[in-house]
Amino acid sequence: MINGKDLKVQDIGKESGKQLTKIDSLKPLPKPYDQPGMEPPLTDPKPEWSEKYCTSLDGYVALDTFEKPKTKEEEDELVRKFLSGLEKMLSAETNKGILQPLMLTLDYCGKCNTCSDACHIFEATNGHELYRPSYRAEILRRIIKKYFTKSGKLLGPLVGADIDLNWETVARLGELAYRCNLCRRCAQTCPLGLDNGMIAREIRKIFSQEMGIAPKPLHENGTVKQLATGSSTGMNKAAFMDIMEFHADDIEEMVGVRYDVPIDKEGADILLIHNAGEFMAWPQNPIAFTIIFEEAGLNWTLSSDFIGYDSVNYGLFYDDGQARKIALRQQEVAKKLGVKKIVIAECGHAHKASAVYADRLTSAEQKIPVESYLPLLRDIVLSGKLDLDPMRNNFPVTLHDPCNIVRQMGIVKPQREILKAICPQFREMTPHGVNNYCCGGGSGFAIMNALNFGEFRNKVSTRKKFEQILNAFQDTIDDPSIPKYVCAPCSNCKGAIRDILEFYEATEKYNIHYDGLVELVVNAMRKFDRPFLEFLRNEE
Amino acid sequence: MFLLILSYVSLFAFIGLSIYKAYQYGHMPMHGRQDLYPIPKEKGKGHYGGSYFEETDWWKKPRETSLFEEIIDMLKEMLFIKKLFDNQRPLWWLSYSMHLGIYCLLAWTVLLFVGAGTELSGIAMNSGHWWATIVYHLTFITGLAGALMVAFGTAGLFIKRTVVSSFKKYTTPQEYFNLAFIFAVTASGLLVWINDPGFDYGRNIARSMLTFSPIEADAALSIHIVLLGLLLIYIPLTKMSHYVGKYFSFHKVLWDNDPNLPGSKIDQKIKTAPVVKPQKSWSAPHFQPEPPKTKEM
Repeated sequence: MINGKDLKVQDIGKESGKQLTKIDSLKPLPKPYDQPGMEPPLTDPKPEWSEKYCTSLDGYVALDTFEKPKTKEEEDELVRKFLSGLEKMLSAETNKGILQPLMLTLDYCGKCNTCSDACHIFEATNGHELYRPSYRAEILRRIIKKYFTKSGKLLGPLVGADIDLNWETVARLGELAYRCNLCRRCAQTCPLGLDNGMIAREIRKIFSQEMGIAPKPLHENGTVKQLATGSSTGMNKAAFMDIMEFHADDIEEMVGVRYDVPIDKEGADILLIHNAGEFMAWPQNPIAFTIIFEEAGLNWTLSSDFIGYDSVNYGLFYDDGQARKIALRQQEVAKKLGVKKIVIAECGHAHKASAVYADRLTSAEQKIPVESYLPLLRDIVLSGKLDLDPMRNNFPVTLHDPCNIVRQMGIVKPQREILKAICPQFREMTPHGVNNYCCGGGSGFAIMNALNFGEFRNKVSTRKKFEQILNAFQDTIDDPSIPKYVCAPCSNCKGAIRDILEFYEATEKYNIHYDGLVELVVNAMRKFDRPFLEFLRNEE
Repeated sequence: MFLLILSYVSLFAFIGLSIYKAYQYGHMPMHGRQDLYPIPKEKGKGHYGGSYFEETDWWKKPRETSLFEEIIDMLKEMLFIKKLFDNQRPLWWLSYSMHLGIYCLLAWTVLLFVGAGTELSGIAMNSGHWWATIVYHLTFITGLAGALMVAFGTAGLFIKRTVVSSFKKYTTPQEYFNLAFIFAVTASGLLVWINDPGFDYGRNIARSMLTFSPIEADAALSIHIVLLGLLLIYIPLTKMSHYVGKYFSFHKVLWDNDPNLPGSKIDQKIKTAPVVKPQKSWSAPHFQPEPPKTKEM
């Protein structure tokens, strides 16, 4: 096994069948997690996994649908399919939506390594070479050089065409594409404006679109299920209507006031689309939205139409075909209802998928405008319509900036204006805004738990976020009687942060909680006698 | 005459191939949005990374962008390589030395032609005329400073990439060659300069090019001209042409956040894009025509 500092790009296809490398060390966490025994250790993969899956990269398995080739013919077929996918990736006919940015990144990397220090995974592993953002990009670049350029065919290693393409290279590269959160923080620092996150996504696309290999939670249990039932949760229209039947009861039970939820209201101003996972995992979130929208007197509706009640679009993480189908369907739903705009609730990747990714899929006349809930919520909060008492949120609150909403859409201020108005002890993470770090659950990691991938997330990809959270609360971390709140206005980020807090027992030991932004707003409403936040209700 | 022809060919090849490269990128299909903030052109918001998405009903409001802010940001990057300065200072010293040296040599080249023109108009460089004196000294400063900085930068980058493991592992033989090539051109120029500190040789070349007359050169100068000519032809064929790529990666990719609104340029592009049925498609089962029809349960 090659240690993290010595690993080279040419090693990717070597030592077939053996684990190439492993994480040798992790960056220490801040106090109080700087003491030994405060976190579970890293574990090795189970030996039997290697018979079926690719455990030969770093021991972790993200591609739970990948099956190791059993014969030489299957090995060759895997390589052939990969090369075929690579050819399509480089073609304007099959990949025009990304060709220019892709070619720029492939052509111009100066190997300055500036991207590396921006990456939270590279930092968490104390600079393990495997997780350098340019490592996987350079492998892909060299394979392309070797198989698709005249200079590579003619001059070989002299121009960097020196990667042996065997099935192990392909399998490891597929895994490696899932060691990046696609947060694009690296691209922010690149002096040439190049994007290694995009390269990771393009490799994922080859695996999914050409080879039919993608993590089950994203594909089979994600987009495929969503395109079959209407939601990645498997919730069909009947199930959604069932949930909504109890929604008003749930609200009444929580706050003592009954609000009827408008569903399929034609001609409404706003179609609000939630991440359907919220109804299952965090029902207080859609409840809070209903309360706020009704109290603000908005003319809004939810949809019960196919895919109209789930803003999730996991295609954004790995597959253009799936992403396109889902995004266009959401637009159709809005058009059918005749609403004036779509508002995306607390889900970061859904923001990007609907407002940015889908923006140029059709001509402008065929689209209903898409807006984030954040400016609308800011306007409502600052208008005074809700009669808010900030002292009800008088505990330390910090804000996580979801990459898709902040770095990739430029929505920075509204959430801060809200928090400053309703949370007297609001404090920023360092760094924050467009420079903030990914939660570690980005690009699907938050829902990928097969085999040992959850360990990679909890120990490695979320490590920087946990460090940021702990640092934000250093003034009160020693006092478990003081509740601390991580505001994470995104479903995936909430999922990742929920898992960190559970994994490190941070709620139990240090009274650190998490939830969204709308929950804090409702918690501050004078209209209700009881706190809205669960941990405050439990304290009563 | 060979040296004169090479000088013309290399200069026009550099310009022509660079334009061709830009043409190739510029004619790639319109891509999906890849916004990455901060985007400096967002008026009043660019400095903290905000965008029009921070407004309710953003599509009803006038789109406010600032070309000035964009140019300022662009100049910071072009003139100072700011991102490298902010994020990787140790490398910046070497890289900036090389790039600033190149900028100086570009200015020097212009000054050589200005000097040659001055001489052709009858004012000798050593005439004591104020204009000739200014041109002469500026040529001297930019030429010498530029060459020294380029030599220092390329040598430093070469050594750094040879010695520091994290750079060495990613550097290909071609990339070492690129640095060595630039160093060789600069070093050969400095060798010529030792015997001609006033850069008269440069003005003679410029004069020859302006008057289409043969370049007179000894062996050292001939080698320098040939190396420089080859470098000028070589640069646009390699990633050293990032002066082209950088424009596209920022302006046409990361900063291209113009929304697709009715009547907008983006909308026009979408509407006028040729509709071609692809002959090829991706091979995964879910990409095949007529995927299994699913019903709502």
